[in-house]
Amino acid sequence: MARTDYQRQLRALRADVVEMGEVVLGRYDGALTALETKDEELAREVIEGDDEINETYLDLESDCIGLFALQQPVASDLRFVAASFKILTDLERIGDLATNLAGYALDAERQRYPEVDIRHIGERVRTMVADAIDAYDRSDAGIAREVALRDDDIDQLCETASETVVADLLRTNYGDESAAILEDASRLLLTIRDLERVADHAVNVCARIVYMVEHDDELIY
Amino acid sequence: MSNTTLNETERPDDPDERTTTVGESEETIQPSWRQYHFDGDSKISVSGLDVHYGDDHALKDIGMEIPEESVTALIGPSGCGKSTFLRCLNRMNDRIRAAEIDGEVSYDGENIYGDGVNLVELRKRVGMVFQAPNPFPKSIRENVSYGPRKHGDIRTGFFDRLTGRDDREQRDRIVEESLRKAALWDEVKDRLDENALSLSGGQQQRLCIARCLAVDPDVILMDEPASALDPIATAKIEDLIEQLAEEYTVVVVTHNMQQAARISDQTAVFLTGGELVEYGDTDQIFENPNSDRVEDYITGKFG
Repeated sequence: MARTDYQRQLRALRADVVEMGEVVLGRYDGALTALETKDEELAREVIEGDDEINETYLDLESDCIGLFALQQPVASDLRFVAASFKILTDLERIGDLATNLAGYALDAERQRYPEVDIRHIGERVRTMVADAIDAYDRSDAGIAREVALRDDDIDQLCETASETVVADLLRTNYGDESAAILEDASRLLLTIRDLERVADHAVNVCARIVYMVEHDDELIY
Repeated sequence: MSNTTLNETERPDDPDERTTTVGESEETIQPSWRQYHFDGDSKISVSGLDVHYGDDHALKDIGMEIPEESVTALIGPSGCGKSTFLRCLNRMNDRIRAAEIDGEVSYDGENIYGDGVNLVELRKRVGMVFQAPNPFPKSIRENVSYGPRKHGDIRTGFFDRLTGRDDREQRDRIVEESLRKAALWDEVKDRLDENALSLSGGQQQRLCIARCLAVDPDVILMDEPASALDPIATAKIEDLIEQLAEEYTVVVVTHNMQQAARISDQTAVFLTGGELVEYGDTDQIFENPNSDRVEDYITGKFG
């Protein structure tokens, strides 16, 4: 095997991106739990941890640029580094969204819409992210395609949840409570939107994996 | 040397189903990997080309269509036959006594290995630039005008001057035009009578390209044209190759895969054993090659 140091750098990049994915997933888990339990300390940990994710993102982005500049990868190596470069951005965005979710946990005083099951949507989105990271680690385009297909269900769940909130607002006169209700409702709608966005980023990751493994850009466009 | 043209039924085995081992992998070369589909016309068509150097089977049943007015890169590890292939395109291998060549190489539809081919005319139309710059120890002007004078395209000798057939103006026009096309004119226009050996390596190589252009070729073959040059001189040669492809058909052998990726429109990959394994758009070869062996070679896993 020639170019052993280069091969080592490629393996290290894969391991580092997976590790970053796991950290992001941990932050997302923390945000989800904080939303459910209103655990302020946990929410603050997630928010404060975003800097670490951003630093990791910049370090790994720099590693990718270094590989492009110094090793000039081609063929499957090129697709791997290019895909990793893009996947890093999606993971960093998921980290940002976890921070948003943790912020909503700090502000929300009570759950006014128990029929909107944030935990259920959040868990399904989490599985998509975890499976996408696993597909990247294994270079498995099959898993990536299957994960991407799940996005339609998430979109449907989020749309139904949003409609539930909006319909309640239209239907009910909350009188003096209107301002507080509107604030909580908007926060819940933002929560739903951000969960949907996390799923979208998981799909982006999957699209890059399919390109990386099969040179197929059908999911990218 | 044999001038036999082999057809499909006469071939000893089916090369498209040949399984070879290089590095650690074994694979069967698929016909589709070597069939390059392109818009436009083919300038050179190669079919069933076999070259032997004594017992060494240097090229095995090569078939390639080379599009006109574009850059075709030939890459592969040392000893894969890419330079041998290049030399077959203007019969430079004729000069190697041990070389036995079978098959067909057509230039503008005419088999250059056919009977009655004028080798001087062929090599005028299909010029060659070599790895090391090799200017004559003469002035810059004489280097460029040497070919046209030899071919009788311009006359500037003493006898021609005496008889009023002096063609100095045409000579100077060819010299300027060739040097301009080789992106060297601005650097040497005030020193045309200086010895060419006073030029830098990169300038000497561009002078050799100008010398090649002066005889009005159609195809330019280049064998590692920048491998002896520094990065700046290499960049100038690469720019020049891209410019030349607007007017000429350029075929370049290079060991520098990034150079092939930068300058060529299509790339042919030869691997050990004298086989053409894959030929296609340069983008496709460097982003998603079909052959695992090509993948291993261009990513540096062997070779």
